[in-house]
Amino acid sequence: MHIMEGFLPLYWAVIWWIVALPCLIFGIYQLKKVLEADREALPLLGVTGGFIFILSSLKLPSVTGSCSHPTGTGLSAVCFGPWITSVVCAIVLLFQALFLAHGGLSVLGANIVSMGIIGPLAGYIVYRSLRDTRVNMYLTVFLACALADLFTYVTTSLELALAYPAEVGGIVSSFVLFMGIFAVTQIPLAIVEGVVLALVFKYIVSLKPDILLRLKVFPEEKIRVARSEA
Amino acid sequence: MPFKFRLEILAIIAVFAFCILFLYTSSIMTNAEFAGSDTLGSEQIAEMTGKAEEDFQPLIWQWAPPSGEIESGLFALQAAIGGILVGWVFGYWKGQKKRTP
Repeated sequence: MHIMEGFLPLYWAVIWWIVALPCLIFGIYQLKKVLEADREALPLLGVTGGFIFILSSLKLPSVTGSCSHPTGTGLSAVCFGPWITSVVCAIVLLFQALFLAHGGLSVLGANIVSMGIIGPLAGYIVYRSLRDTRVNMYLTVFLACALADLFTYVTTSLELALAYPAEVGGIVSSFVLFMGIFAVTQIPLAIVEGVVLALVFKYIVSLKPDILLRLKVFPEEKIRVARSEA
Repeated sequence: MPFKFRLEILAIIAVFAFCILFLYTSSIMTNAEFAGSDTLGSEQIAEMTGKAEEDFQPLIWQWAPPSGEIESGLFALQAAIGGILVGWVFGYWKGQKKRTP
């Protein structure tokens, strides 16, 4: 879950906004370029963005006795990269900040950095390093989605730890403390999210493989093998 | 020949395992409130800084849903927007595929 409005000192809120803005602007530029090159990318953006909307609204209970929600950003990160994903996330987070009092306008920058940038970036790095190997395509998507989810909350923990270092042990010990609240809760959710999004990816492969090929999401060979199996 | 529906089966198993895990933890943790992790995070911050939670005022004025019912309604709206998008595109693709075999 996000950092709540007012719980980040102004100083840190501004810093995270400064980090988030260039990524957002680059994402908008990239999004324009992708859509100009291929109008058929728009429906794919709709599906991946739609899952961010759905999954980030589901608050699920976890083993720690608290609730948290999945992020759904991994699929978008795999198809479009982390920068475009950050734009979609910004829209979702703005919706939640304005209408749900989840997060807020001053902490929006920090929440975009965790959910929209670092999380998807982690997933994207995993996906890029596995894409051209022999690792199964769906396993790659699973890992990318699960890690994008998990790293969102690792980042949230880090953001809070930087703003609120513990009196004893400083940033490290408060990071461990926040990790216990955010990241541990997230582990089972991340696994389920990864499996579900891998399944969604299977349906995209079977319905619209050509758009995945044109965006060079996976090599042709892998998609062909996956399609012949289905 | 790999089994055709293995991902579907895996997804069902994962969701079921998740539900069972939840039933198990909620039965052994009698004091678990299943509050949001952001609420717990905020409590933690209040504890660390020694300030009361109410003292953390929004830096920018914020509208908050007046009740839990309204909040859950808006959350459902958010999920509905996503669901409509996903369903619409999958239907669009399905129609496209039928037209051009």
